[in-house]
Amino acid sequence: MNYLTEERKNSLSSEYVLGTLHGRARLRYQSLLVAHRPMRQALWRWEKHLNALGAALPEQTPDPSVWERIQQRLGFVAEPNNVTSLDAKRAAANRWRWLAAAASIAAIALAVVLMRQPPVTPPAPSQVAVVQGSAAEALWLIELTESNIQIQATSQFAPLPDKDYELWLVAADGRAPVSLGLLPESGRASLARDPLFDRVDVAALAVSLEPPGGSPTGSPTEVLYTAQLVTL
Amino acid sequence: MELESQHVKLLCATAEGDRRAFAKLYQATSGKLYAVCLQLLQRRDLAEEAMQEAYVKVWHNAADYHNDKGSVLVWMVSIARYRALDILRSASYRRETRESVQEQADSSGPQGALFEQRDKVRIDECMDTLEDGQRQMIQLAYFRGLTHAELTEHTGSPLGTIKSWIRRGLQKLKRCLEP
Repeated sequence: MNYLTEERKNSLSSEYVLGTLHGRARLRYQSLLVAHRPMRQALWRWEKHLNALGAALPEQTPDPSVWERIQQRLGFVAEPNNVTSLDAKRAAANRWRWLAAAASIAAIALAVVLMRQPPVTPPAPSQVAVVQGSAAEALWLIELTESNIQIQATSQFAPLPDKDYELWLVAADGRAPVSLGLLPESGRASLARDPLFDRVDVAALAVSLEPPGGSPTGSPTEVLYTAQLVTL
Repeated sequence: MELESQHVKLLCATAEGDRRAFAKLYQATSGKLYAVCLQLLQRRDLAEEAMQEAYVKVWHNAADYHNDKGSVLVWMVSIARYRALDILRSASYRRETRESVQEQADSSGPQGALFEQRDKVRIDECMDTLEDGQRQMIQLAYFRGLTHAELTEHTGSPLGTIKSWIRRGLQKLKRCLEP
């Protein structure tokens, strides 16, 4: 892939770290990061180079309340009020979020309608994601509940023969994507809820195209789509 | 290096859930991370927000650090700076500070000139080998978080020139840093 020539890797990674990679180029870069370890390594090299500039700034003393709030957020000390839970949600926003083409409100509404029928005993509020195709058509509706991941393939999804579609958790911390299992090509299915969901900020879910049986390498072979989890 | 091995020790203990080590790591690094956030955001409240989020991430992700990612401090600076850039690029930040963006770029804010007081490090020697335009654009992008469009506005140079200064400057930096 020509993105991965040494020069291309360096130019994209350096501008990403500098903050001058914008818009679609930034999104494309982030999906390359998900799939390609050499790209992540180039990123780390440039973080090391350029952020030495930041590390050399003269120290400034933050207000002591900052440490208090960090401890509250991490649950080390009791929260004085509800404000911090809002803070925590904002904390979940991060650079990986960019990667997820934000599902439109209409698509979310559709997901809610489809996933909530027929009405069952309402489970605890969960998170949903809509995996959208290139024309913004909904392909899979995904609901993350407290116990599992429920998935519905829509009728708009036309699977390729001899291919499987694998779902990945993309954590905000830049670790390699974690496989959640294979997506159904029609109808409904459920997957186990990976314990990682409770330990990391989830930047996005990603769907990759794989040979039958799923990724042979443990990494996504070709990332097709990404989607953002939205809390209802 | 002494400092670095101390940071590594604290981070390893943090990865195992040692809250006291995390508190020490905070004490040892928060001045730097705050400087980075303040330099970019030029507002104490937002810099504090970015920093809080950065440390929450450090706590959760401590086990993911390895030395391919640079020193512990540089790794933490990366985390904080991405968060600060996100805030800087957010619509609400732009709305609140629209009038003052140009001003900040002229380093009139209270922390505007922080970067002029920084310690010289290896990359600075390489920065000195760049042409003035290249160096200036990279510094404005790095320390002020200016986008291509803002750099164009700030310098009056055409977009193509800005992009080429940055691209060539970064290429030259790489040759200098990774000979």
